Amino acid sequence: MIFDGKEEFVEALRRLVGEGVPPERIRVLTPFPLPEVDRILPRKRSNVRFFALIGAGTGTITGFALTILTTLSWPLIVGGKPIVSIPPFIIIAFALTILFGSLSTFLGFLLLSRLPSIRNIRSKEEYGNRFVILVEEGPTR
Amino acid sequence: MTDPEKYARADEDILKAMEKPGRAYLLGLGVTASLAVGGGLLWAYQIRNGLGVAGYTHPVNWAVYITNFVFWVGIAHSGTLISAVLYLFHARYRTSFNRPAEAMTVFALMVAGLFPLIHLGRSWVFYYLIPYPTERQLWVNFRSPLIWDVFAVGTYFTVSAVFFYVGMIPDLAIARRRREGIRKTIYAVLSLGWRGTGRQWRHYNMLYLFLASFATPLVASVHSVVSWDFAMSLLPGWHTTIFAPYFVAGAIFSGTAMVITLVVPMRKTFNLYRYITDDHFESIAKILLLTSLIVSYAYVIEFGLAWYSGNIFETELFRYRALGHYKVFFWIMVACNSIIPLTLFAMRLRRNIPYLLIVSLLVNVGMWLERFVIIVSSLSRDYDPYAWNALIYRPTYVEVGITLGAFGMFFMLYLLFVKTLPLLSISEIKEHL
Repeated sequence: MIFDGKEEFVEALRRLVGEGVPPERIRVLTPFPLPEVDRILPRKRSNVRFFALIGAGTGTITGFALTILTTLSWPLIVGGKPIVSIPPFIIIAFALTILFGSLSTFLGFLLLSRLPSIRNIRSKEEYGNRFVILVEEGPTR
Repeated sequence: MTDPEKYARADEDILKAMEKPGRAYLLGLGVTASLAVGGGLLWAYQIRNGLGVAGYTHPVNWAVYITNFVFWVGIAHSGTLISAVLYLFHARYRTSFNRPAEAMTVFALMVAGLFPLIHLGRSWVFYYLIPYPTERQLWVNFRSPLIWDVFAVGTYFTVSAVFFYVGMIPDLAIARRRREGIRKTIYAVLSLGWRGTGRQWRHYNMLYLFLASFATPLVASVHSVVSWDFAMSLLPGWHTTIFAPYFVAGAIFSGTAMVITLVVPMRKTFNLYRYITDDHFESIAKILLLTSLIVSYAYVIEFGLAWYSGNIFETELFRYRALGHYKVFFWIMVACNSIIPLTLFAMRLRRNIPYLLIVSLLVNVGMWLERFVIIVSSLSRDYDPYAWNALIYRPTYVEVGITLGAFGMFFMLYLLFVKTLPLLSISEIKEHL
């Protein structure tokens, strides 16, 4: 089903779910994100957030490991400061937390939303500004 | 007008900017590209002849190049403020500015990243700054603020570039649909085959939220780290705890001015009045005014700290800053950054776009001079009175030329951006129609 307007689309989607079509079988394509879709078709929250957590954690650990282990590998006192000087190392760990966190979130997004998709890059099929509902075949509840 | 017509009009209006360029555009591109090439040639000249062609005189061994580095990193900040911080605050007017501001961030960082290399003299040994296992068996000194800079600015550039690209994916899919031939293929590849399915949007929104959250602390941290390049030294005028917040406010101030400088002509050229309204400019002008007040407060506090410290070198430096060799720059800076922006308290002037453009240009000048004044006046008034008046630093034509080249490169990249990529975020605009 293809709709030009947002309201008709949301209405049709609501009716479809009301008629007992299981949400797993419904796929929608929209030109911009609609909060209504999430309300009508409840899905669990995006797992992209776990990629963010793992990436950020890896970054923090890498930052401290890199600074502490490299300074210990050649213990050279600079400016009278301790070999393992935590305050400056926090800055490095902080930067790497953000760097790794962002990159891993981005990779997680690509992975979970199946991008880049060669098939869709080559596909000529476009819905443009229209709102689309696709229902897979199967039993209604 | 119905919604579908509005959506189609938004596509049309914004992608129209990507059509065949006019004469004024080509002229602008020609001028900026020549400046950039000129700057590059002067850099080549400097590499051939050594840093002596810059005006460095002991003890002033940081000058225009480092000024440019700080200035351009600062310019980048406001882009992140607008795209990430205002996103988290759900500020609606962000939609009109976020794409140009993000582009500005990425380009400003590209320019900024060149200056430490230019300043090195022997630019080809820059890789000494990067930590990797070498045959010298010695790692970089992680206690040095210059290494913090490498990490802070490197992270900032990478995250900003990812953020810029991610925001563009749905719009590249629109460009793919509306273009033909080789361009269609390019946009199709760049859009990664984005379709806008429910699942994609769900992950996309989560990604965008996280990228905004990761980028937000960078607004405060990157320029703080840059300020510590100075504050970690013992030089009068540099060694102060207010430097981090002072630099961050200055960064947002100058960046906001640059956003106005870029967006006012862009709105006029591409007739985007429907998407960037005077109300939006007024909101941005308020950020400009607020940060101007913070920066002015920091100027006053700096003098207060010097006076209250009772340290004769601090006191002398600040006397010198206001009344010494570089006093003209100091007072232009005060006029541009502290006095002229005060007129934005008047709503009539905030909403007067030509006036706002003039103020933003003056702020750009003022903020460039601020960094120059901080760097050069402090260095020329250090703890060795013998050196105070022996040699006065003056920028040479090489330094001035490379600075102009940097501006040329920045505006050239921006001009290329407006013709090749969707210059406003179309899907977000549709969301709010």
